[in-house]
Amino acid sequence: MRVFSSTCTFDYSWEEVSTANWRKYCPWNDKSTHVVAVDTLSRTVDLDTGILRTERLITCNQSVPQWVLSLFGGSATSHVYEISYVDPISKRVTMCSSNLTWSNVLKVQETVIYRPSPSTPTSTTSFNQEAKITALCGGWQKIKNKVEEASVERFSQNAKRGKEGFEAVLEMSRRVFGEQRENENSKI
Amino acid sequence: MAASIAPECNDIKEKYDTCFLKWYSEKYLRGNTTSNECEELFSKYKSCLNKVLKEKGIDQMLEDARKSNSEVESEYIRRT
Repeated sequence: MRVFSSTCTFDYSWEEVSTANWRKYCPWNDKSTHVVAVDTLSRTVDLDTGILRTERLITCNQSVPQWVLSLFGGSATSHVYEISYVDPISKRVTMCSSNLTWSNVLKVQETVIYRPSPSTPTSTTSFNQEAKITALCGGWQKIKNKVEEASVERFSQNAKRGKEGFEAVLEMSRRVFGEQRENENSKI
Repeated sequence: MAASIAPECNDIKEKYDTCFLKWYSEKYLRGNTTSNECEELFSKYKSCLNKVLKEKGIDQMLEDARKSNSEVESEYIRRT
């Protein structure tokens, strides 16, 4: 098993980040083009805690190294199952994702947490990401290592691009919300 | 918003997503967590989507994933 982790801070409030997070994969994000569809499967609010639980199916289409395809077969379309929890009181978004495709070969479990940064909680948001990547294919350890290495490499590329893309979405969201507010005010 | 895996569900998905985002930013985050004005759009979107998930065999993959996730589940739904 290999672990990939990264942390960063967004210069936006937790409310802005947690809202924009729902449209992270929209046309404003031109970096995460490997995500082709995001579908919501279920959504409930826990009556006791107010925690919003959402299940989503994320469909990706990305170039897979040729040797992976020839070893394991399959197509370049893959699916990820994500469960997220928003706690509006303690201000925390937790997202847990796992791969549905090739799950007999490779297990990728990712946890992402967004919460207000301890130093400037009203204006900035901290992001923590951790992914556990395990190759399950029986047989040679060498192949397993190679599969895990390639997966970590791909994961870290996507994570970097994901952050850049999300920054663009945050910026656009702030601009559009600002314009909406101006329009509403000028009507009054 | 992102597209749906099923192109024929894109229109209803778009309507639902827009409704949800408005509810999330204007009501949910401001403490009104119980209103459910997007429920009708969501059930239309789901019935469109579920047909396609079944056709593609994704419903079975999801069922398996849900089973293996059920133990971790309880740790997040409680407030930490």
